[in-house]
Amino acid sequence: MTSPRAQPGFLPRAEFGRLFAALEADGRRIIGPTVAEEAIVYDELHDPAQLPVGMTVETAPGAYRLVPSGRDRAFDYAVGPTSWKRFTHPPLVPLTVSRRDGAGVDVQATAPSAPRLAFLGVRACELQALAIQDRAMRAGPLGDVDHAARRDASLVVAMECAVAAETCFCTSMGTGPEVASGADLVLSELDDGFVVRAASHAGEAILGQLGLAPAAAEQTNAAAEQAREVRRTMGDPVPTVGLPERLRASLDHPRWDVVAERCLACANCTLVCPTCFCTSVSVASDLDGVTGTTERSWDSCFSLGFGRVAGDANFRPKVKDRYRQWLTHKFSTWWDQFGSSGCVGCGRCIAWCPVGIDIREELLVIAPPGVEPGPAPWPAAPMGGRAPDPLPAVLPARHVTVRVGDVVHETADTVSLSLATDDRTLLGAQPGQFVMAELPAFAIPPISISRIRPDGLDLTIRSAGAATAALVALHARDTLSLRGPYGRGWPVGEAAGRDVVIVAGGIGLAPLRPLVDAVLADRPRFGAVRMFLGARTPRDRLFVAEMNALAGRADLEVSEIVDRAGPEWLGRVGVVTQLFDRATWDGSRATAFMCGPERMMQAAAAVLARNGVAPDRTWVTLERNMACGVGTCGHCQVGPFFVCRDGPVFSLAELGSAFGREGL
Amino acid sequence: MAGPPPAPTPHHAPRAATPRRPRIGVVKFASCDGCQLTLLDLEDELLAIAERVDVVEFAEATSHRSSGPFDVLFVEGSISTAEQAVEIARLRTVTRHLVTIGACATAGGIQAIRNWFDHEEVRQTVYPEPAFVDSLALSRPVADFVAVDAELRGCPISPGQLREFLVALVTGRRPQLPDEAVCLECKRRGVVCVAVARGIACLGPVTRTGCGAICPAYGRGCYGCFGPRESANTASLAEWFGATTAAPDVARLFAGFTAWSGPNRTAIDALGGPPGQREAEGRSGDA
Repeated sequence: MTSPRAQPGFLPRAEFGRLFAALEADGRRIIGPTVAEEAIVYDELHDPAQLPVGMTVETAPGAYRLVPSGRDRAFDYAVGPTSWKRFTHPPLVPLTVSRRDGAGVDVQATAPSAPRLAFLGVRACELQALAIQDRAMRAGPLGDVDHAARRDASLVVAMECAVAAETCFCTSMGTGPEVASGADLVLSELDDGFVVRAASHAGEAILGQLGLAPAAAEQTNAAAEQAREVRRTMGDPVPTVGLPERLRASLDHPRWDVVAERCLACANCTLVCPTCFCTSVSVASDLDGVTGTTERSWDSCFSLGFGRVAGDANFRPKVKDRYRQWLTHKFSTWWDQFGSSGCVGCGRCIAWCPVGIDIREELLVIAPPGVEPGPAPWPAAPMGGRAPDPLPAVLPARHVTVRVGDVVHETADTVSLSLATDDRTLLGAQPGQFVMAELPAFAIPPISISRIRPDGLDLTIRSAGAATAALVALHARDTLSLRGPYGRGWPVGEAAGRDVVIVAGGIGLAPLRPLVDAVLADRPRFGAVRMFLGARTPRDRLFVAEMNALAGRADLEVSEIVDRAGPEWLGRVGVVTQLFDRATWDGSRATAFMCGPERMMQAAAAVLARNGVAPDRTWVTLERNMACGVGTCGHCQVGPFFVCRDGPVFSLAELGSAFGREGL
Repeated sequence: MAGPPPAPTPHHAPRAATPRRPRIGVVKFASCDGCQLTLLDLEDELLAIAERVDVVEFAEATSHRSSGPFDVLFVEGSISTAEQAVEIARLRTVTRHLVTIGACATAGGIQAIRNWFDHEEVRQTVYPEPAFVDSLALSRPVADFVAVDAELRGCPISPGQLREFLVALVTGRRPQLPDEAVCLECKRRGVVCVAVARGIACLGPVTRTGCGAICPAYGRGCYGCFGPRESANTASLAEWFGATTAAPDVARLFAGFTAWSGPNRTAIDALGGPPGQREAEGRSGDA
């Protein structure tokens, strides 16, 4: 946005239709406020007569009522049930169409459809909400193509607030009521008309079309005084200085249990929130599974299914966990991720909560102002905040069809697929990265890369559900579609000149194998290399011949253990930590890499710490419900991180107490 | 609680030998047959589905009859008589994946309102010759008697969910049957919340989605025919209704088609029982 040259104009009330005409002449459909279903909603407008003239709203926790305002203004209300994300980040967006033709699989991304819209009547808090979603949807390595196209095709006509509702608190969040940035045109409504000023070149062009007389000084003064009066009405209900720090130090506050007794976990707060962006992907198919489509729809961290992972485990089983996730994300970890608050103070979550829970009240109890925060559960802004300025360009996801070569049956339920490709991006994968693997009609699981070859990748997949079962059932010459590689992998170079400790549990050996390959390919760069491998039973051991061969080498040490075994097993029986809990080597010279069940990694981390391995030298990879792979769906959040974007590999120092904390 | 969904032979590899077509049965107990008829409502795809499965038992649609075995058995209706309790146990032994359909089979149905009343008194009130009627004291969901592998909720069930279940069945994938609140559907559709904007008592926040939010879309409160969602906090909602709405009787809101489901039952009990019961107790107290 550049500063406009044009002087503010005055648009008489009777001539408001000229603005409609100018926006339509610019090739835009107009979305603005209108009365429907006993509320003021945002919908397509064709005529100024559709505006909610003479209406206002009264709100309270759990209540919203449309009432006459007693004056003839059209924008005399505070925000209602709709937010602009309905048009920039719609509830349902098609993602891919996939087809199967014999053994061939082809996946095509659906091209974004971005209508040319004008948003009429955008409030100051809503402008900031749009900006916050812009940052969130572009913080990953790819960003969201659909959202970017919709934003680029929209023109924003802001309307400064002349009234505040009881639930408004933009003054506390620093987003309003005065319009600061993000609009193309800014209007202020007075009794007899509108003060109109341009705030961008596009806005200037529209203002020029209107051919208005300049606004008189008393008109611009009245507009400014009106906004000041709204500010005075609101006060400062939620003091925010230090709030992110206080909140993240309050993860164990007893109030979470109290609010969870009232909370319905119905998701209304997140869906009316103008910044919440979480989505889920669903799959549809024809009856033969030959053609499949995927689409994403609004979802919420309040639903149990949002935290569900393979095997029906769940990271946030309790309502308390989900409420805490939401509130701490909005007011604390959002800063870590995107460099701003996730709340704009619009108050929708207060009014539209079916049982009237008021976040202002909850914040004041859980993280009261003036209280010195306790120790932080994780390092402050570990990813440095991700507010990019200017916003980065958005790249579309690439779907690459790859062909299955060898199929190796590792265990009864686990298969390694050797995939051939000449795609340079895929071949550039780093140890510890993953890909999203798609077959028509099936859900799209993230799969760790288990070997990086010059002519392809290996994926080692355990059948844990229908989608992985379909992958495990593939044969040589079948094809599948990959998206990736994604994520931050193992920092192999960090271990140069140091001892290397590798701890794997079960299928956890798969993402570690490319690391082993990398270390062995450059063996002299590293000190002693020790591998500790655990499995449920001897039959569940992965890469058996290969590990036996490694065990025979003189330049590394491989120890194995199984949870239980029959008499045919001559090796050790027990848990993986027994392999090194009496070790005499000096952990301070070692860098450790771990993957396995979270409980196993916690136990192993404790033993490694006793051996002197530093937390910033202990690396783990987290299994979370990764769904988009690029940090825009919200499923894999743990504390201040999105696992798919910031991980999946983390050091224990980065994770702090987020590692192993239940319900986070 | 729905268990793991059926995942028969994956059909996704066309060059593999054609798998045997799954044997499907549809049976009913105490119910109105409306859920079964939803199968016939899948007009556009009914024939295509029929080509991929063998419907061996479906009294509403075919005169062919079978007593099993079944790969998938859709069970409608609550278990209300001793005879039904014996039959459902037998059916379980000849069924691979047992799927309950509708509010009666999954929650006990509207007829479970009688569970709060004196059984003998109800029999004598309803039937002129109660001696001919062999009913159990309680109308209960099928899952109280046998293990259930999956459930389709609603009164009646949703054609969309039934289609999704059948397509998942023949393609070998996991059916997507969300257990979240109706509210998510309202918000995605852009339906204005009737509870907040109009003060209408709505069970949407504690009720499982799947209907497409039909009632709120027509300006009515959800009356919970899909039954409780996961994490249904009926106690909090009942307290809010009591404090804020003009609803004459909060217990009545929960005492509908899925009254006997755990969370609704708890709310009704906490409020002193369904409306008629308190009047009935009042009468017997007077006598």
